[in-house]
Amino acid sequence: MEEKTKKRKKWGGVAMRKKAVLLSCILILLLPLAGCVGKKEISDLAIVMAVGIDEGKEAGSVKVSVQVARPADARGQTGAPAGQSGEAIWNVEAEGESIFEAIRKLSSISTRRIFWAHNFIIVINEQVAKEGIGGIIDFFSRNQELRMRTKVVITPDSASEIVSTATGLEIIPGEAMDKLFRYSAISSVSAQSDMMELLAAYLSPSSEPLLARVILQKMKVDSEKAEAGASLKQIELAGAGVFKDDKLVGILKPEEMRGVIAFRDKLDSGALIATCPSNPNKNTTVELDAPSFRVEPTYHNQEIRFKATLDVDVSVVEAGCSFAINNKEQVKTLQNSVEDTLRKQIMTTVNKVQKDYQADVFELGKVFQNKYPYEWKKYKNNWSEIFSTTNIDVVVHSEVVSGELLFKPTESGKKEKSKE
Amino acid sequence: MKVQITNGMFMALIINMLYAKSIGLTQGVIAREVGGDMWLSTIFASMQGLVVMALVVIVIKRMPEGDLIDQFHQIFGKWIGKGAAFLVFIFFIGAYGSIMATFVYHLKDYFLPEAPLVLFIAGAFLIGAYALFFGIEVVARMALIGIFSIIGLNILLMIGSLGKFDIRELLPTFQSGVVKTVWASRHHNTDWAMATMMAAIILPIVKEKKTWIKSGTAGICYSAIIIIMWPILETGVLSPEVAAQYIISCMQMARSAEIGLFIHRYEMIMIALFALSILTQIMMTFLCSSIAMQKMLGLKDYRPAIIPSGLILSGFSYWMVKNHHRAMHIIEGIWVPVSLGIAVGLPALLLISGFFFKKKLKMKKNNANVQG
Repeated sequence: MEEKTKKRKKWGGVAMRKKAVLLSCILILLLPLAGCVGKKEISDLAIVMAVGIDEGKEAGSVKVSVQVARPADARGQTGAPAGQSGEAIWNVEAEGESIFEAIRKLSSISTRRIFWAHNFIIVINEQVAKEGIGGIIDFFSRNQELRMRTKVVITPDSASEIVSTATGLEIIPGEAMDKLFRYSAISSVSAQSDMMELLAAYLSPSSEPLLARVILQKMKVDSEKAEAGASLKQIELAGAGVFKDDKLVGILKPEEMRGVIAFRDKLDSGALIATCPSNPNKNTTVELDAPSFRVEPTYHNQEIRFKATLDVDVSVVEAGCSFAINNKEQVKTLQNSVEDTLRKQIMTTVNKVQKDYQADVFELGKVFQNKYPYEWKKYKNNWSEIFSTTNIDVVVHSEVVSGELLFKPTESGKKEKSKE
Repeated sequence: MKVQITNGMFMALIINMLYAKSIGLTQGVIAREVGGDMWLSTIFASMQGLVVMALVVIVIKRMPEGDLIDQFHQIFGKWIGKGAAFLVFIFFIGAYGSIMATFVYHLKDYFLPEAPLVLFIAGAFLIGAYALFFGIEVVARMALIGIFSIIGLNILLMIGSLGKFDIRELLPTFQSGVVKTVWASRHHNTDWAMATMMAAIILPIVKEKKTWIKSGTAGICYSAIIIIMWPILETGVLSPEVAAQYIISCMQMARSAEIGLFIHRYEMIMIALFALSILTQIMMTFLCSSIAMQKMLGLKDYRPAIIPSGLILSGFSYWMVKNHHRAMHIIEGIWVPVSLGIAVGLPALLLISGFFFKKKLKMKKNNANVQG
């Protein structure tokens, strides 16, 4: 009996020891799971809102400017200096032989860790863009912190200045620029270009990148020096840059953007100035609604052609002359004028992109490839040359559907009285 | 009482076993080979997976009390049975390597780049081993919940990406040629192989034997429906070139998806919602490799084999995943013939040998029934 108890005690002791060893192992292994590895405290972060890339002073070097938000001073609608510094942003720049090196240098002067996850915009100086942005695309698409929907723009001005310029009603310039783009579809003066689209166009075997362009313009009136007129610089959307591979080869003006947006994105409503139906010396402003744009490729006798058709509804928003929507003749004349103006606008862009830049920012290679996959194989290797000589026809159909609130023309009542 | 899982749990395990790796890592590999035809390759692979799953069920159904290894043991004897167990163990070592590549490259590369690799390997080991001590039923129940999170993730991604969807990217079809597109499906076949090999091990504990084939093939069909959304969206939203550019293409989708202005950057949502799938993969690989080791060593229970087999799996995955190039080289190269050779070869061999050893099988089955 005693022996049995002894045995039981002995074996019970072994089992206990085993359990203790197992428990210790589990506890030791649990230590690395404490959840503190890689932690990022918000108070330790320098949250980048915008980044600018310029040429450095030394040949081949790059200057990186970052705009960091100072959350304590960026609170509320006015950016009142709650953090006591009075500045909602902290702008800082550094130079290096590569973007990475410049950012490393920034880290050495920043009291917080540079954090890219909330960056709104990347501004690239046109001089840098002319030399090639392959490295920039690579750096930002490799970076796990950056959003792929971060806007990418070019500028003829200093990117550093753009990044530090407070514009519009926002306190943080990066946020202001992001909002500027949010509504650019309405004004159709620039392109919607983000990192994902840039990367996709750069990697594409046929399409070329198109980046929005911003400039600094004296447009803001200083309330203390109102008599001087617009004296403060603001950021303005100003067309787009056309790239071939990774190099900037040309600029499209704001008025040329409709032609390119129609091919690339979904056309939104926009304004157009057409000749007045009853007085050719005056203008009528119309709003283009519900635009529908389609491109149809044809291939016949080894000749590639594209037929682009634009259907659009027209509303008269400002008549510079007498215009009544029930006047069929006037409506017809206005429709012809709108169609003619739109066609000319689009063709100007098409010719410029085809002949001057030879860069398929219209994504026509993709359109042709979709319909003629086997024929495409023959042309894909020298598509940019073929694209520049391809025939692109543009047909515009418009229909005047509304005179907004008015039915009768806005004319002086005295005229009618004199007629009577 | 013998542990059993329902047919629904079995289906859930199949879907979870496939999902995490198939939607990102595999799609990137396929995109590098066939570009915009990646979704077609995925469909072809699903059809092949369906056939292999049916094959596995037919084979196991002949002697439903034993798994694939037991059948080898019964037909060819003890040592061939041990050889089959060894091959199954090798299969799950490789499978675990590819699963850990998915797990680590999602978490470490996108969220915790400074965290040491050993943290992820040890974390997976601990969770996998801990769950298995409680048995497959716990894992299967978790897999059921995993289905809801998978569906939730699919819906969120679809809503956040459709706005940027360009159907032109999906056209023209078979741009790389039919043969090349079908050939590229082998990469996704390695994912199906994980599900069919898992089925080959756990089918004997699935309750309704009569509906095994229905559950197995339905599991594959549902998985295919859930997974196919990803290559279609990755092609239409990212473009095939961008999908091919990245190791984990689904994370790029998550990075660029947005609902309205305030919900964007789905990476964290994605990780949260596909966590159950990847954990199921880890646990089931641990379970299957432990069973293989148990049968190799002639143990009565698989539990004593969990830690040694888990350590071997973790050691291999650490070595493999530490170097991105090595991991991708293995996943895109050697893993394909090894995985498919074992996953198709073993059940096919059993099927063929079953015709020759029909009498022996019948006798063993009768003996088992008498003993039962």
